[in-house]
Amino acid sequence: MIGTTRRHLTALTVATAVVALAACAPSSSSTGGGGSGGSDGKGVTLSVWSWRTEDVAAYDAIFDVYEKAHPGVKVDFKAFKNTEYNQILTTGLAGSNGPDVVQVRSYGQLQPTIASGSLVPLDSTVDLSSWDANVVKSAEGKQDGKLYAVPLAQQTLQMFYNKDLFAKQGLTPPTTWAQFIEVNARLEEQGITPMAVGAKDSWTLPIVHQVLAAPRFGGAAFEKAVLSGQKTFTDPDWVASVDELKKLKPYLPDSAVGVAYTDAQILFTSGKAAMFPGGSFELGFFQKQNPALKMGVFQVPAPDGSPTTAPATTGYADGAFGVSTRSDAQQASKDLVAWMATKEFGQLVADKVKQLSAVPGVTYADPLLKQMADSYATNPSPYLLLVDFRYGTPSGTDVLGTGLQELLLGKKDAAAVSKDLQRGVSQWFKPSA
Amino acid sequence: MSRRSGLLFVAPALLLFGVFVLYPMVSALSYAFFTWHGTTRGVFVGLSNFGVLFTQEPFREQLPRAFGHNVAFFVGTMVIQNTLGLGIAVLLHRRARTRRLLQTLYAMPYLVSPIVIGYLWTLLLSPTFGPVNALLRTVGLESLAVPWLGDPSTALWVVVLVSAWQWVGFPVLLYGAALGGVPEELSEAARVDGASHWQTFRSITLPLLVPAIGTVSVLTFIFAMEAFALPYALGGSTGNPAGATDFMSLLFYRTAFENGSTNAIGSSSAIATLLFAVIFGGAVLATRVLRRAENRIGA
Amino acid sequence: MTTTLVAPPETREPAPPQPQRRRQRPVGGVVGSAALWVYAIGALVPLLLMVSNSLRSTPSLYSEPLSGPWPPNVDSYRRAWTDGHFGEYFLSSLLVTTGAVLLSTAVATMAAYGLARSRSRILSVIESVFLSGLLLPIHLAVLPIFYLMDGMGLVDSRWGLMLVYAAAGVPFSIFVLTTFFRQLPPELEEAARIDGATTWQMFVRIMLPLVRPAVATVVVFRFVPIWNDFLFPLVLLRSREKYTVPVGLTSFFGEYSTDWSSLFAGLVIATVPLIVLFLVATRQIVAGLTAGMSK
Repeated sequence: MIGTTRRHLTALTVATAVVALAACAPSSSSTGGGGSGGSDGKGVTLSVWSWRTEDVAAYDAIFDVYEKAHPGVKVDFKAFKNTEYNQILTTGLAGSNGPDVVQVRSYGQLQPTIASGSLVPLDSTVDLSSWDANVVKSAEGKQDGKLYAVPLAQQTLQMFYNKDLFAKQGLTPPTTWAQFIEVNARLEEQGITPMAVGAKDSWTLPIVHQVLAAPRFGGAAFEKAVLSGQKTFTDPDWVASVDELKKLKPYLPDSAVGVAYTDAQILFTSGKAAMFPGGSFELGFFQKQNPALKMGVFQVPAPDGSPTTAPATTGYADGAFGVSTRSDAQQASKDLVAWMATKEFGQLVADKVKQLSAVPGVTYADPLLKQMADSYATNPSPYLLLVDFRYGTPSGTDVLGTGLQELLLGKKDAAAVSKDLQRGVSQWFKPSA
Repeated sequence: MSRRSGLLFVAPALLLFGVFVLYPMVSALSYAFFTWHGTTRGVFVGLSNFGVLFTQEPFREQLPRAFGHNVAFFVGTMVIQNTLGLGIAVLLHRRARTRRLLQTLYAMPYLVSPIVIGYLWTLLLSPTFGPVNALLRTVGLESLAVPWLGDPSTALWVVVLVSAWQWVGFPVLLYGAALGGVPEELSEAARVDGASHWQTFRSITLPLLVPAIGTVSVLTFIFAMEAFALPYALGGSTGNPAGATDFMSLLFYRTAFENGSTNAIGSSSAIATLLFAVIFGGAVLATRVLRRAENRIGA
Repeated sequence: MTTTLVAPPETREPAPPQPQRRRQRPVGGVVGSAALWVYAIGALVPLLLMVSNSLRSTPSLYSEPLSGPWPPNVDSYRRAWTDGHFGEYFLSSLLVTTGAVLLSTAVATMAAYGLARSRSRILSVIESVFLSGLLLPIHLAVLPIFYLMDGMGLVDSRWGLMLVYAAAGVPFSIFVLTTFFRQLPPELEEAARIDGATTWQMFVRIMLPLVRPAVATVVVFRFVPIWNDFLFPLVLLRSREKYTVPVGLTSFFGEYSTDWSSLFAGLVIATVPLIVLFLVATRQIVAGLTAGMSK
């Protein structure tokens, strides 16, 4: 038995070796995408990849609408685990049998995909001139300024709060900083964790920083100053904004750096914490896990000493859809992404995926989503480190995330954390003076 | 055995491994000597990617720190695997009735995917919900109820302990198999002469186990240097908290997949090549030492 | 022929009592047994937590993370089976994993024997080459492996996946098995050679049974990581029907939230075959050990 198997094995491996010698290194010449079907437009199946495993059912319903309007086109939506998606996308776009339309990351994280030559420029396919400039920036190449994808969603950052817990304590959403501190103090006294923060997962901390202290460093004005080189992250306003987090530490869960993001979510949904500084992406999750939870959102008032007295809602674009250069259904794919720039698609995203759409002019049935969109429209502030400081290594969010952990652990003060941030991003960031 | 026979026996494995693993691995290491634009290879740049690792942030600070953690991880897991694993194997050796059941129980943590292991332990050790701290408080050990995964000084050791807990089945099995190869007659003779269990173990069994100990140690070294899934599950890709659980492979992962640098493949391949060189050096050294010890004993 | 292939040990006395019949006090006595069981129970707590959590719904896990599963809710098992496509993916997993482990172990055992029993320069170099495969984790070479598979037309092929896994398992298996082969006394083969056996016959009839415990150990420690791996199937496969079980489980991981209850249920189901395998393997190990003891 083993003798013949061995012979077969040897033959197989020798044959494989011969074939393998013909295998190429990178920039392989294989073409051909996953879209089957001919150029006559009959019976095309477009393969769409995404990292939103939570939204598979929603997107299937959305693409049903597209399929009805475009007979002969079928859309096969596949979602992959988010943490492995970047690897899967890289290999998928680099070889044969890959996807036609892909969901891609935004701002800095999109640049490697663009540099690989994997995405088709879409400047002539869609017209985004009426869109928010910050949103369009998320899908452009930094080097050539061309548009490579159609932005999908916007996220806003604000404070979620538990209406029942507030009502029980006779509290209302604060409109001044002093009121905000008092709300926290009162909740703390009653044994309720005021703010649920999962500081163990460092990516949450820059978000918390934006929610609590964006007005303190000056929001959009500061962004402009930093990008032009007039200011750096050692600026006293920025340092003071970082320090606010330190001052609010007593109102975070005990040993916040040991509390994971999932724990913080549980604290909020189970009613043990009254507030949750987070993004609009949390909404769907909170509603699903605890439909009985009465939630509200508010903007945290500007801390004392802020350059601007208005509160701010931080926002950024999250996700975009692009067309693979290796797709063999180029026109059909372009048609699909062109549809993704329409209000019809945006409205479907708002209704079914329950996210803020990047498309302007969408109406939101969910009152909280509407409130978030309106707040952002009134008091926009960019999520600075994500939008502008992910174009190199180290990324601004990584450095600040770790720095804020050290701040909460008492190992560094706000000035040291800010200095680290400046040192980190100045490795690759050149102000466009 | 003649050399020709030897080569014939080795050929299938060599072909399979050579084509599907060795060739891609050498390619992956060679990527470090080029600059990259996404997945498009650029010009040859020699050692420039390596230079960046030692001169620029974040690598200048994070690389040595991550490497230090790998080494600490190795020492910790080695000590525990070799003492706990060996101890359990010895205890199980003559308990024929319960041995298989116990071996299965010890190996069960290994059978579950590390991502979930990470989550389960994070939940158990959570300062807000975790039963471990709650238990410690009720028993009166309040001072030990620290945020295990939130304190940089304890987080790394938690990773070590969880890893040992997960992997202990391997040394238990391997040592069990090795103990079975120790001739009964030798230890029986010693017992008849009045030696205690411990003396028998130390003078007869242990020297004969050196090859197995060597195998376990080398594999533990390599595993510790490459550790990825468990640290990622417990501390995330940035080695939370505050980089205390940062490992070389996490640094590789961040550099390759989570940042906006278009030369991500170049820098991350440089990290991989460096790691390979270190592991290679360590393993060659260890294997040579062990072969010499083996030959001395086997003679 | 077979009766003289096994060299009789010189030290065997005609009439000592068989070890199995004489009641030997196990090391450590009662305290040792107690310690073993305490550690066993303690070691299982996280896994018991997983099983317990699988019997609750995810929302209840988010409101009361650590209460007991009462009343038990098997909805998550149903969801894991359907949404996780368990039924379809199980066969794929079985094919790929079994094929890879069999291939890997077969070629590695042969190679280990060759390396352990020859003393030539070139084979020493080859051994180092194999061991170098241990030194770099395979997940660092995902991109080149993908290009290789793409060039060979083996993307979206379970054969391709199987070959990659089998190749990846070779260094570890060779490393462990050479150690065991080296420990076997050369006298065994000398006696067989005198009787006229070929190298292959010696390998199959004498050596293999003697290293059965090591082979069983290697099989288990190759089977488990391949069974649980989701990265390579995600990168190398394209058709849904070829996906393996872990891929189905990854659909429960969301970007910001995870369906823990279904995930745990899926893991419980996915781990059962591994436990079965482990029990079978340990029996082989025991059988090998008893055979070894009577040599």
